[in-house]
Amino acid sequence: MVRIKHRYLLLNILYPDEKTQNVHHTGPTSTEDVPYALQFRQPSPDALNAKLLARMVRDAVAELFGDYGSGMVSGSLIVKYFSPATSTAIIRVARAHYRLVWAALTFMINLPKPLNQPCVMQVVRVSGTIRKAEEEAIRRARLAIRKAHRVGGDGITMGGVADQTGAVNEDEAIDMEDGIEDLDDDDEMEDDEE
Amino acid sequence: MFYDLNVPYSSSDAGLARTLNFSHELGYNVVALNYSIIGKLPNEIACAIPSPLPFKDLPSNLQVLTRCTLHLTETHQNARLLTLASHYDILALRPTDEKSLQLACSSLDCDIISLDLSIRHPFHFKHKMLMEAIKAGKKIEICYSQGMMGDSQARRNLIGNVSQIVRATRGRGLVISSEAKGAVGLRGPWDAVNLAAVWGLGQERGFEGVTKEARSAVVSAQLKRSGWRGTINVVYGGEKPAETVKTVVNEKGAAAAKQGMPTKAIMNGEVDAIAGTKRKAENEAAAGAVNGGEKLLSKTQMKKRAKLEKMAAEAKQKEQTEAVTTG
Repeated sequence: MVRIKHRYLLLNILYPDEKTQNVHHTGPTSTEDVPYALQFRQPSPDALNAKLLARMVRDAVAELFGDYGSGMVSGSLIVKYFSPATSTAIIRVARAHYRLVWAALTFMINLPKPLNQPCVMQVVRVSGTIRKAEEEAIRRARLAIRKAHRVGGDGITMGGVADQTGAVNEDEAIDMEDGIEDLDDDDEMEDDEE
Repeated sequence: MFYDLNVPYSSSDAGLARTLNFSHELGYNVVALNYSIIGKLPNEIACAIPSPLPFKDLPSNLQVLTRCTLHLTETHQNARLLTLASHYDILALRPTDEKSLQLACSSLDCDIISLDLSIRHPFHFKHKMLMEAIKAGKKIEICYSQGMMGDSQARRNLIGNVSQIVRATRGRGLVISSEAKGAVGLRGPWDAVNLAAVWGLGQERGFEGVTKEARSAVVSAQLKRSGWRGTINVVYGGEKPAETVKTVVNEKGAAAAKQGMPTKAIMNGEVDAIAGTKRKAENEAAAGAVNGGEKLLSKTQMKKRAKLEKMAAEAKQKEQTEAVTTG
């Protein structure tokens, strides 16, 4: 039997608005002095969970593509992973329609009603297997923490991950010059999700 | 390298530093600040965007360009487009009707043609018209942010207009940029590429729209402003020799003396008298000094004279032979 092929979208939720403060800073830095990189990548509010995110995506698809879009997507759309601490999520969707979901994510400008925070969804990886998406998420989280250490200085304390000597240029490592889609590994790797 | 060639600038915008930082966070490397001029050009044209920008915490590896967008209307005079272009890195035109679009595509010299895609245009985009612009190196711009932040009507118009432009241009010469009024309207470069892919532009073309095409717009604009007609530029002109004209002439005189030219003329200061004239004139003057003041003949004149002399000689010979035969 031919299995259904999927795409896994790894996405970051960014908070560009200055009024959004989901985390309370302690220590010498006041809220105005928090570097931009940390303001944009702050944790998501507690009320936002995988279930709510799935509903948001469904609503966005329905708004942009109507009944046709939501019908096409509804069978396969699942939020596989969501971490409010890093504002990272992995969404699974059928390969034929992943662009619809991606476009709907691009059109999101707000978290829904009770939260009402301006947000930007950035898809950073499109992968044929969930393992690749996970690896990328871990790599990015590591880079983000390193960057936070660099720009935030002593005001931000994070436990145990400090690797100050890492000579990687974070910005270059995050760049995706060769595209963000793994299109070739769909068939080779064992996909145990089905 | 990702390019976003349209971030609106206004002097009262407090959130601009945040917007620039956010676009850097999303992965853009080059951002153009856009200053719009609606209506008549001001009398004194100057760049409205201060340089350097008055923000202290801009990311160091984000290149910020200046761009000016002039709104074109049918009645408007655009005589001073060149002076306007010289003050900004990029000059864009925003036609508002079919005639001004025709004008922008054909005759007006600009780098980017940026249509307002959130309104419904009462005309079709013609392939011929747009290709004329693209062949001349102008880019057509797609701004996605209005559809994102606006109501559903704006979004509908945006999608309709973009698919029309993609159809008319066959996906060639398109630049994707944001025109985001705030940080919330910005999207990552890959998100924009996917959006364009959903709207009918191929993935590759969309990728070129945020990278290659945008870069070519920036580079050709730069060339237009610095080089001669965008083709030739003086990279290093060398240093000027420090000697004065006088010494050069004296050297020439010495050289002439070496070549066996009449030394008398040099002694008499003839060469000094002809200082500053061209070499031909100099030679003529030198030769004239030898011939006793007679002007040197040109080659055609010499030939003419030689011919006349020859004819005269022939006639004489003929006469003589005739005289011999009769005699």
